[in-house]
Amino acid sequence: MKGLRFSRSQLCIPYAVFLILFVIAPLVVIVYYAFTNGEGQFTFDNFINFFASTNTLGTLLYSFSLAIVTTLVCLVIAYPTAYILARSNIRKKYVLLLLFILPMWINFTLRITALKEILSLFEGNISSYPFLNSVIGMTYDFLPFMILPLYTSLQKLDNSLLEAASDLGANKLTVFLRVTLPLSVPGIISGVTMVLLPSMTNYVVLDMLYNSTYIMGSLIGSYFSSYDWNNGSMISLILLIIIFIVTLVTNRFSDKDANNRGAIL
Amino acid sequence: MKIKQISAILAAGCVLGGSLLAFSGCADEREEIVLRVCNWEEYIDLGDWDDDELIEVENIFTDEEGIIGINSMVDDFTEWFNSNHDYKVRVEYSTFGTNEDLYNRLSLGDVYDIVCPSDYMLMKLIAEGNYVEFSDSFWSDDEENYYAQYVSRYIDGAEGSIFYDYDWNKKAACYMWGTLGLVYNPESLVDADDVKSWNMLANPDYKKQVTIKDNVRDAYFAALGMLNSEYILQNDVSLEELSSLMNATDSQTIAKAEDILKNIKENVYSFETDSGKADMVTGKVIANEQWSGDAVYIMDEAESDEENATELWYSVPEECTDIWFDGWIKLKNGVEWSEQRHTAAEAFVNFVSRPDNAVRNMYYIGYTSSIAGDTVLEYMDYNYGAEEDAEDTFEYDLSYFFGDGATITANASEFEFDDEERTVINRGRQLFTQYPPQNVIDRSVVMLDFGDRLAQINQMWINVRCLDIVDISPVTIGIVAAVILVVVAVILIYAFRYRIFAAHKPKKGYFKVA
Repeated sequence: MKGLRFSRSQLCIPYAVFLILFVIAPLVVIVYYAFTNGEGQFTFDNFINFFASTNTLGTLLYSFSLAIVTTLVCLVIAYPTAYILARSNIRKKYVLLLLFILPMWINFTLRITALKEILSLFEGNISSYPFLNSVIGMTYDFLPFMILPLYTSLQKLDNSLLEAASDLGANKLTVFLRVTLPLSVPGIISGVTMVLLPSMTNYVVLDMLYNSTYIMGSLIGSYFSSYDWNNGSMISLILLIIIFIVTLVTNRFSDKDANNRGAIL
Repeated sequence: MKIKQISAILAAGCVLGGSLLAFSGCADEREEIVLRVCNWEEYIDLGDWDDDELIEVENIFTDEEGIIGINSMVDDFTEWFNSNHDYKVRVEYSTFGTNEDLYNRLSLGDVYDIVCPSDYMLMKLIAEGNYVEFSDSFWSDDEENYYAQYVSRYIDGAEGSIFYDYDWNKKAACYMWGTLGLVYNPESLVDADDVKSWNMLANPDYKKQVTIKDNVRDAYFAALGMLNSEYILQNDVSLEELSSLMNATDSQTIAKAEDILKNIKENVYSFETDSGKADMVTGKVIANEQWSGDAVYIMDEAESDEENATELWYSVPEECTDIWFDGWIKLKNGVEWSEQRHTAAEAFVNFVSRPDNAVRNMYYIGYTSSIAGDTVLEYMDYNYGAEEDAEDTFEYDLSYFFGDGATITANASEFEFDDEERTVINRGRQLFTQYPPQNVIDRSVVMLDFGDRLAQINQMWINVRCLDIVDISPVTIGIVAAVILVVVAVILIYAFRYRIFAAHKPKKGYFKVA
């Protein structure tokens, strides 16, 4: 008897089923709720509510600021780290790399709880610095996601390019600015995407670190808990669209750059 | 012929084998029904106590000495039920985190036979007609109708009880009840009388040292307490007026509450759903808006901390408190089609209401059961009663709950007294928290469902919690804009200077190697 045979497309079926059940179907429900009112009639009111409410816009701004600051801090910390790890000849650098990834093996609520105690030690009363604490918490949470792509892109950087640049008279700074940094842009872009997007909605960190100002995730939750599925869904939908646009833009940059890199090499 | 014989033997074998299987496969051939129970998280005894946790109170309901939770309450119920019915029950026990969570699940089509939401959610479910009344046999004087026998007259919903006006009599069975108040550390107070009022939450003396519940109802109640504080304390306000003041949901009141809550937000350490307990025990905060049951839990934890034992107290603000209860209700779409499930659901309520089981639940979760009866009173005495050689004791009157003449000899040091007449006022320790004195009860109101005012109150809550773009100062906007501009400029200059994103065409005279 012959073994079971699958064509390639048949192998996709489990994923397709998953996709339809848990991604497409909920999305349809969100769109339905977003454009209906409590009685199930079609309406644009929820859409108008979003932009008419100074609270929603303020929350959007707050979420964005928090996410951007977190991303920048992550980038500033992660780039030198990844550079050192990837470019220098430290012995046992895989152990070092492991140390950076290690926190990801521990459940993140546990990590934040520990962080809370550490921050209390430094700050005294941690509720006095909600924004700072949220940034620290998210940085702690997302730093590995920034280090890893940077590390990968810096590691596969061709040494002969750097040597060529030095041979042609470039000093170290010029080599870094004109060769290393441009070539690591894809790593930066994918790191930024991996940190920026989740930190816009990760309200658990804020809750646990006593930031009582809502971000987008908590705002949606508060609508749902007052049985207002419609406005909550509209906010989710708009957030989804914003994330989609951000992804689209960053993808353009990284793709184009990848092509350029191909042209150089 | 041969084939016929074989098939006959086979058929006989099938019949015989089939019936044998039926017998051997399950020794107990009774029909099994499923009872779907949905209760609050951590709201029932899960068993597995240590031997030294045995509660040394006479137990007239089982053969055991004293009361101890060995198996979980649900398992014990299954065993108890199956031993005296001609069918079996299997309990599917699930939990919810908030009343709204439960309601959302119900409206999404989850089916439960019996659930245990809070008072206002019960009223909402009753108003929507999604319930079945408890049957007449539930109220008869049958020996196993533990709820009907032992529930406190004070709280059973019938005429003369505190909840009589709210129309859930016979529709729901009260499980746990309590008040809303402030847990606090008396040693850290600037003035001992600060905890007398809800104003404590906005008191700048305790800036970033008090927490409030992250829950619109409890926060709104505290805000109304502050709003009406002066009026209530300076006038002789009747209970009816108190109730209407504390349940006001007109736009003007909501707007005032919003201002108060914005002020509270600046003053409190956190809006908490669960972290307040730990912060209170570890001493990060001085006071904590809390439900009485969790308050007992916090006090027990704080004093059992071996290195740093603290004696915490509970205060019911003098303005008013929300007296609340969680109760069992049979849901229509769950039990409707099955008489057996009706019976099982009612048996479940009766089982958790059996006084020894009520004590087990009280011990395990810290909340106060609706069940009165001598066993519960003895348990309170066992837990909090004064030792025989104690110096300063007094008779703590609990007749409102346990019936005429019910008192506990308690340590006077665990209560705050009115100096002249030595009546307990608004503060005390565990016994006070579990059963507040009559004068506290007399100024308690039931917080009703917001009904169609919910949307506006929730909008108020969002206004409190969200950053309003109008409130941001121009300076902040200027700084943020400047920083963003600089960062963008640096990136752009860099990108153009080194032509990172430009296509790299070979210079004239050169060509690209493929």
